[in-house]
Amino acid sequence: MPTGEELQILATSFTVALRAVVWSLPVAIAFAYALSRPAFPGKSVLDAFAHLPLVLPPVLIGFLLLLAFGRRGPIGGWLDQTFGVHLAFSSEGASLATAVMAFPLMVRAIRLAFEATDERYLEAAAVLRASPLDRFWSIALPLAAPGVLAGAVTAFAAGLGEFGAVITFASNVPGETQTLPLAIYAALQMPGGEAQALRLAFYSFTLAIAGLASAEALQAWSRRRLDA
Amino acid sequence: MTGALTVDARLTRGAFVLNAQFVAPTDGVTALFGPSGAGKSLTLSLIAGLKRAEAGSVTLAGRALSDAPAHARGVGVVFQDARLFPHLNVRQNLAFAQKRAPRTLLTLEDAAARFDIAALLERPVRNLSGGEKSRVALARALLSAPDFLLLDEPFAALDGARRAAFLAALRAIHTAFALPMLVVTHQIDDVAALASHVVAMKAGAVVAQGPLAETAATPAFQALLARRDAGAALPASALRRGGEGGGAAWLRADHVLLASEAPRALSARNVFEGAIDAIEVEPDGARLVRTRTPHGAVLARVTEDAVRDLALAPGKPVWVIAKAHAL
Repeated sequence: MPTGEELQILATSFTVALRAVVWSLPVAIAFAYALSRPAFPGKSVLDAFAHLPLVLPPVLIGFLLLLAFGRRGPIGGWLDQTFGVHLAFSSEGASLATAVMAFPLMVRAIRLAFEATDERYLEAAAVLRASPLDRFWSIALPLAAPGVLAGAVTAFAAGLGEFGAVITFASNVPGETQTLPLAIYAALQMPGGEAQALRLAFYSFTLAIAGLASAEALQAWSRRRLDA
Repeated sequence: MTGALTVDARLTRGAFVLNAQFVAPTDGVTALFGPSGAGKSLTLSLIAGLKRAEAGSVTLAGRALSDAPAHARGVGVVFQDARLFPHLNVRQNLAFAQKRAPRTLLTLEDAAARFDIAALLERPVRNLSGGEKSRVALARALLSAPDFLLLDEPFAALDGARRAAFLAALRAIHTAFALPMLVVTHQIDDVAALASHVVAMKAGAVVAQGPLAETAATPAFQALLARRDAGAALPASALRRGGEGGGAAWLRADHVLLASEAPRALSARNVFEGAIDAIEVEPDGARLVRTRTPHGAVLARVTEDAVRDLALAPGKPVWVIAKAHAL
């Protein structure tokens, strides 16, 4: 059984990852839908932008977030003065870093779901007087919903393990920003911390597998449901 | 013609050039007829706004449709593959159309009763048979209250009695709702059963158009038909038939006998007196005899011997004979 301290770490990880998914999901859906449409001006730029967090070092992402959202950064300064909100070195900041890192993964999964949607249903909806926005809400999104859910679950599982961007932007504060991988890292820094690190690694592994399995189950369920 | 669908659409797809120019009246059913690859379905997509023409225009009763996106054209489409939304059940598919309709032609319950799908309303669409899907698709299109209904071989998957029932349902809704229709088909019997007007296409171009009986008699139209389909459209009211049917029937030249005297004691139910109009020699030596009758022109395919023995010649009075079950 996890100890109180381990439960605290797990709770932090869940909170940070869940909030990250909730924040990035709407943006990821918008990006994915746009990228699933036929060629339009600026599509390749949008595509490259969505994939940036995948190719940049996570530490660099964390650093860029510090520059933008730090108290002296352009966005961070505005947030501080207007709402008194500080993202850097906070649990919300850990979520922001996680959201940015999970973003390409989510866009990729959701885009595949949109691309797999049969264009013929959208045509049928159009001749039944549904406008493009109406078709998105009533046809494209429901048909892609299982893929969207699977993308969100995968992103959540990956978010539980985000390290570089989180430690750079949000630091390693127990009870606030110390997620599973950060706790494992901290444990390894202490003499004789290997046993603790191993226990945390076991939780991390179990959660990741559970996340992947549920994403797979969602996909299978959707295929059964929509096979006409 | 103000109350008509006027189509002038040009589109190039590699080596294929579509040049569809025709008028479909709004007071009848128009068949868009031609062999596969003639560009019939593409023409339908252009009218519905699902594809964009490179040049030309589509107007309905004077309103320019070609400027509007598909959802604002008021043109309904029944697709060959039904395209029922897989995440919705039958009732939800029908409600999708009803919710977005600007007016009510009929209620969802009326539509369900009319197309015999009331028992299917709560069923997921993947469990429906081909015939059931076609009927739901037709009901759904009707519930969206279109100004003009396009049908792309919606009965291609149906055969025999189910096909006849579907054709009868189409004729009934055309009459009940005064809904103009354009029906794509490559089956001449469907053209005769449904259409008052026909547009014939071949290789992307319109080769004949006009009222059914006259247009069907033109050489350009007959040239589109397979040899065994050569024939003429006769009004159903003039005929005694083996099967159910309305509108007109396609009387094949191979199913018609000619007699030079009034026949007596004959089982055939359709005997019309007429006069020979013309005799055409076919490439294989068979003779295609066109006879004018009170119900319109009839084609009969006979041998050279028969022409000689009966002394058939233009102007000669003859009796045209057709079995009821050949119709």
